[in-house]
Amino acid sequence: MRDIGGMVLKRLGLGLITLLVISVLIFGAVELLPGDIAEAVLGMGATEENVAAMRRQLGLDQPAVLRYFQWLGGAVVGDFGTSLISQAPVGEVIGGRFANTLFLACYAAAIAVPLAIVLGIIVALLRNSVFDRVANVLTLTSISSPEFFLGYVLILYLAVKVDYFPAIARLSEDMSFLERLDRTFLPALTMVLVVTAHMMRMTRAAIINLLASPYIEMARLKGVPPWLVIVRHALPNAWAPIINVVALNLAYLITGVVLVEVVFVYPGIGQLLVDAVTKRDFPVVQACCLIFAATFILLNLAADVGAILTNPRLRHPK
Amino acid sequence: MNEFVIGYYAFLIGASCLAAYYKQRTVFLLLFSLTLASFVVGIVGGEPALWTITVAAAALALAGGTAYAFREFLVIIAPMETAKALRTAPLTASFGMFVIFTYAIMGIFAPVIAPFGEAEIITEAFAPADDTLLLGADQLGRDMFSRIVYGARNTVGLALVATTLAFTMGALAGLFAATKGGWFDQILGRFADVIMSIPSLIFALLLLSIFGTNLFVLVIIIAVIYAPRVYRLARAVAGNVVVMDYVEAARLRGEGTWYLIRREILPNSSAPLIAEFGLEFCFVFLLVAGLSFLGLGIQPPTADWGSMVRENATLISFGELTPLIPAGAIALLTVAVNFVVDWMLYRSSGLRE
Repeated sequence: MRDIGGMVLKRLGLGLITLLVISVLIFGAVELLPGDIAEAVLGMGATEENVAAMRRQLGLDQPAVLRYFQWLGGAVVGDFGTSLISQAPVGEVIGGRFANTLFLACYAAAIAVPLAIVLGIIVALLRNSVFDRVANVLTLTSISSPEFFLGYVLILYLAVKVDYFPAIARLSEDMSFLERLDRTFLPALTMVLVVTAHMMRMTRAAIINLLASPYIEMARLKGVPPWLVIVRHALPNAWAPIINVVALNLAYLITGVVLVEVVFVYPGIGQLLVDAVTKRDFPVVQACCLIFAATFILLNLAADVGAILTNPRLRHPK
Repeated sequence: MNEFVIGYYAFLIGASCLAAYYKQRTVFLLLFSLTLASFVVGIVGGEPALWTITVAAAALALAGGTAYAFREFLVIIAPMETAKALRTAPLTASFGMFVIFTYAIMGIFAPVIAPFGEAEIITEAFAPADDTLLLGADQLGRDMFSRIVYGARNTVGLALVATTLAFTMGALAGLFAATKGGWFDQILGRFADVIMSIPSLIFALLLLSIFGTNLFVLVIIIAVIYAPRVYRLARAVAGNVVVMDYVEAARLRGEGTWYLIRREILPNSSAPLIAEFGLEFCFVFLLVAGLSFLGLGIQPPTADWGSMVRENATLISFGELTPLIPAGAIALLTVAVNFVVDWMLYRSSGLRE
């Protein structure tokens, strides 16, 4: 057991270091700005005094290293400074929107994960049949389509031509949970389509890999019924790759959410990021990027730790 | 029950029986499961649903036929060795090649094909389609069809340039790292790890907010984001080749690093690298399209598929298909490239076993 503990701790430490390096990168990227933030925001026509005043207000007269630690210290407790455009605290602007994005991602994941695993296992069992090939073409098509294409196709057929679901996912505070589910159904479905396809393909590959191993062949040869081969022999070893697949795809969901939110005008953090990039509102951009990157790294970390914990070879050391 | 529905089921059941009689298991399974699915769909959706299935099946058959003819054509004109490989290519792969070929023609001869200029305003906004305007006009009264044709040149061209740059950087660095080893390898490896641990769209947005949106910056940013992915693969593939005896022999002969890469390692790792180029192209193309869709990629008035979707999105709420055409064009090309890459990967893995 000590071995596993050590490996997990080591992986967690590595994740933490990656996160730190990335925070340096996100902070440092803004420092690369030709001139500095004050000049970039005020533009060419600004007077010397205006620029100097803005610098003082943003604390730009202090050295970059000091400012980095102040920023990081604030970020840990949810204080990301103030927005350059609206002058509101960034943490407050992001808070509610981040919850909305998480809601959408969880909604999509709740549908996609079970669906993809079941379909992936079925397709792996029927490999090289007609259904497998049809599924291969369909999933490849779904992966290759840009999210906004799928989104608009769904809007056209499920919201405009027949009015099943609302096309625009506006949320308000006093909505009931069911109402929310109905409002966000189309954006969730768009993400489900993409993520399920990814996950199905990866699950299929993992299971097929496993079915080719000698001990499965052994089980088959000694006459174990096919379903028992899957349940007793294949699945215990399949958990590690499947958990990996799920976590990786959830990480993918986090990025895909940006385009989907813009298509459906969903009040999430992705839309906020795009707006901030257009307006060059750097504190908001930095905060959003840090949150996205942290979620991404955390999920990848979860994938690795999950793979370590579910590996039977590590759980029963010789 | 009218003639169409009766004919529909009669055709499906008759064709299934024929397939079963001639022992075409695959065809029979496909046709009969379609018949069963049609029962359900027909009861729920009625006649229009069956029409949709018919149209979709006809489109699929047309695509299949085109793919078949194109494959035969390629087999005839290709030299011996390639022809042998092409003969066993699945229809999806030859369909992919056909689509890529069409796009290339469209991009190269854009000014000849397009009836109007890409930024030329010729009529009022959202004018409906007629004989001169094949697909109608966009939100400023420019010809939609011409813009789609020019978009093939701009969007695909930009993605191609960015991919080539990323690929050259990544592959060269990977091959060098594998050949040289040591601290050079270590530093590049850690650098690639860091870049790859940020989602690419997010990283691109961060950099774009800082450097502003112009074409040159866009290409560089995309190259920096995607080069590490190519590096990883090139490093792994070359790592397997470097340990071979003939590389050792060349080393002992006193050949330099550059010679080793060019004459010994590259020829033996080209197959997976070419497939990787295709995959990278898909990722880059989708990223460029996504950024343009967000208004941060190719800037107007240059015609570009991503921004065309966004600009004309309002038409969708009136049930118009037009804004989906550029989006569909993006999807079609990515699917096509993926089909070809899929086949190439299958071939290279099959040959190795």
